[in-house]
Amino acid sequence: MSVTAPAIDTMPVRPVRASRFDSTWLLWIAIIAVLLFLVVSPFVYLVITSFQAERTGEFTFSNYATAYGRARYIDALFNSLKLGAASAALAGVFAVPLAWAVARTNMPGRGLTRMLVLATFITPPYTGAVAWILLAGPNAGWLNRFFMMVTGAEAGPFNIYSFTGLAVVIALYSFPYIFIFTTAALELVSSEMEDAANILGAGPWRTMRKVTLPLALPAILGGLIICFLEAIALFGSPAMIAIPARFNVVTTQLFQFFGNPVRVEVAAAYAMPLLGVTVLLVLVQRLIVRRKGFVALTGKGGERRPILLGRWRWVMFGYAMFVAALAVFLPYIFLIHSAFAKAWGRGFLLDNITLANFRFILFEHATAAQSVINSFVYAGISATIAVFLTLGVAYIVARRLIPFGGVLGFLCVAPFVIPGVVLAIGFYAAYAPPPLALYGTALILILAFTTRFLPVGYVNASAAINSLNPEMEEAVRVLGGSRLTALRRVVAPLLKRNMMGAWLLIFIPATRELSAAIFLYGPNTKVASVMIFDMSEEGNFERLAALALVLQVLTLPLLWLGQKALGRDFMLRRTAT
Amino acid sequence: MKRLGSLALALALAFLPLAARADLNALAAAAKKEGDITWYVAHYTSEGAEDLGRGFTEMYGIKVNVVRTTAQVAYQRLLQDLKNNQTICDVFSSTDLGHYARLKSEGRFEKYVPETTPKISEAFRNFDPDGFFHTTAAGLVTLTYNTAKVKAEDAPKKWEDLLDIKWKGKVSTGHPGFSGYVGTWVLSMKKLYGWQYFDKLEKNKPQIGRSINDTVTALNAGERQVAAGADGSTLFSAARGNPLAVSYPSDGSVLIISPSAIMKGTKNPNAAKLFMEYLYTIEAARINAKHYGIPLRPEVPSPPGAKPISEIKVIRPTVAEVEKGIPEVIEQWRDTFGN
Repeated sequence: MSVTAPAIDTMPVRPVRASRFDSTWLLWIAIIAVLLFLVVSPFVYLVITSFQAERTGEFTFSNYATAYGRARYIDALFNSLKLGAASAALAGVFAVPLAWAVARTNMPGRGLTRMLVLATFITPPYTGAVAWILLAGPNAGWLNRFFMMVTGAEAGPFNIYSFTGLAVVIALYSFPYIFIFTTAALELVSSEMEDAANILGAGPWRTMRKVTLPLALPAILGGLIICFLEAIALFGSPAMIAIPARFNVVTTQLFQFFGNPVRVEVAAAYAMPLLGVTVLLVLVQRLIVRRKGFVALTGKGGERRPILLGRWRWVMFGYAMFVAALAVFLPYIFLIHSAFAKAWGRGFLLDNITLANFRFILFEHATAAQSVINSFVYAGISATIAVFLTLGVAYIVARRLIPFGGVLGFLCVAPFVIPGVVLAIGFYAAYAPPPLALYGTALILILAFTTRFLPVGYVNASAAINSLNPEMEEAVRVLGGSRLTALRRVVAPLLKRNMMGAWLLIFIPATRELSAAIFLYGPNTKVASVMIFDMSEEGNFERLAALALVLQVLTLPLLWLGQKALGRDFMLRRTAT
Repeated sequence: MKRLGSLALALALAFLPLAARADLNALAAAAKKEGDITWYVAHYTSEGAEDLGRGFTEMYGIKVNVVRTTAQVAYQRLLQDLKNNQTICDVFSSTDLGHYARLKSEGRFEKYVPETTPKISEAFRNFDPDGFFHTTAAGLVTLTYNTAKVKAEDAPKKWEDLLDIKWKGKVSTGHPGFSGYVGTWVLSMKKLYGWQYFDKLEKNKPQIGRSINDTVTALNAGERQVAAGADGSTLFSAARGNPLAVSYPSDGSVLIISPSAIMKGTKNPNAAKLFMEYLYTIEAARINAKHYGIPLRPEVPSPPGAKPISEIKVIRPTVAEVEKGIPEVIEQWRDTFGN
């Protein structure tokens, strides 16, 4: 009996009871329809729109001619590529030594380092960018002032408003990706390999260079690519830093196309290279990561001993704290200082302390407090939809309930290759105008967030479902329950923890999403990230810091909840998709 | 007979405000039945705009969604609204006059002449002869500087002084692609000195923010020392103890007349009209003066420390020049300054 059950299950329609209508089919169809709506249609609209004339909608290439017809626009493309490469390389320099030290050595403070990487990870890049404006403003930045005080020089060496400045800031808040990938890989390298090298006469450094690192190389490359993609898709940091630094990147240029006059068609055409580069690199990344044909990375055998670094362990610890100082300590010290300051440039004086910034954003500003609420509500709804939707899809795919179910799985992970800005333009083109007329509604933001974070949900859901033995559901079916009952009464309760983990992994980044929100928000649906961005217009860093801190503080209980339910560093482990 | 006539006139004059008051009461009653209003505003600082919005709520109990951004961002938002056939904005207050000329010619405004118009200073009345938009704020673009770093005698005295090599790396400006004040200033400089002015300014490596109010922050932080800033936001910040001062350029401060208009198709027509009336009240003028804006009502004194406008040499491009000129200078600016 139980032997035949799985065989029956793999059939699209069970022949025995084919005549009886199974209502769960409606659910599957609904899921497919929703995926088409969320993923396929915005993408199709994006491509179509790029070939449409503005008013008439006729087929034309002129959008492409406009989009690439000026040297300035082309420069922005190259700036983005350069920025991506520089940021990724820098992020590698920050991340790889740290990952190695944490995963493979006896460096002190490994737990602390992990925690600080997590703190970096949950800092939105635009918040980091603002903090670094306070730190490395060419004249008033604290690092420069300190330098001038110590050396007596006329000017300091740091200038955030430069290409290098932007690359550093982006690298500082994207290096956790490489860290996550690399530690995961290094933790699998067995010590026997390294022992072999040692026996053959290689010292610890040489072993690391010749054995350990090459084994982790695919993971490192994978992380570098993610950083590269993150850097070219980012909107907030470039908008805050590149405008005063006086250069454009693709995302800021796209924003200009949404200016006066609104040229969605040109923006769509201009977004194509960004999309192309991303698709290509994600394919490369998958290829690299998958090609880890080394036994060491897949096998389980062998023990793993930490490498004893001797005195060098303190050097490594110093480096870890140096990176943490750049990404966490210094930025937060000065963000907190600004949030409580009357004027940030005046420094740490008692008469410069005030609560007025918090009062202003929480009570006096008409929409700032509301924007925080909006962020949390939209993120909550999006995370909920995404979790249930991906659970359904993962279930269909894992149990092969419909033919070509794999396509659905693909659709769920496809948004991963669509940069937030591009996704937003697709959503705008597809759903802002009538007939749906979602322009300026909360719904368009919620749908865009849902789509953006589908891949995170899907990867989690499919891992979780694959860990379930189908026999438990079979029992329900044998006893006459429908598949829906099996899902509701067996699968969902068993996966509660996983689903909550996935929910948090979507919810937390969704509360700070800016790249898509900036194109889709309406005056009554402003979210906190957009509010922060708007405040940067007037250079109100004191209030902006206060709002950014409120957002961070509100996230802490959620992190605590996640860690309680799912274990320490659940964010760091599971986001590495 | 003559006495009788003047008596009648006096009586009429005495009752005129009452009649207007009655109209306003009816308007207020109708407005209260409608919803919150949404106000796209670029006129003031965020604080000033929020203060004014709250003042209206306190007076009439109608909530104002204050959407304060730079002029071009507000306009961009409005154009997107229009393109998608949405009327979200009830009252539109930009600092770029060109927006009004364009929107008016496209029939986007609801015609309404505030009852209170006769009470504001004459200079600001009847800006649009057809009554679609009305002056609701005025301010100046002037030279500003950080007094802790620059002595008054060393401060720039005319616009060309900003080109002096001694200010290299020390100048701050906003961006015409965002700010209506900055756009109007750039246009005025181009008119006075040609685009070479900006080719030269570029050599001084100014720090370019977005809003004109960003210059205040840049000066306060000590990030920059001199700026083309707005008198209002600079003096307001100075009054709170920040080391800032205004230097009225001898070749003319740029006067920015900023209108407001009611959007056609607004779902809250009465509340929007009431809000226009409110912007002309003494209360609104007081709030405006508190934030160092030029008060529209003659009863309200100019903010302390600000020179009365009659003593300042001002320059101002025409509406037609602004309408055509600002989009042009935004492009030129991007070519010269890189973005």
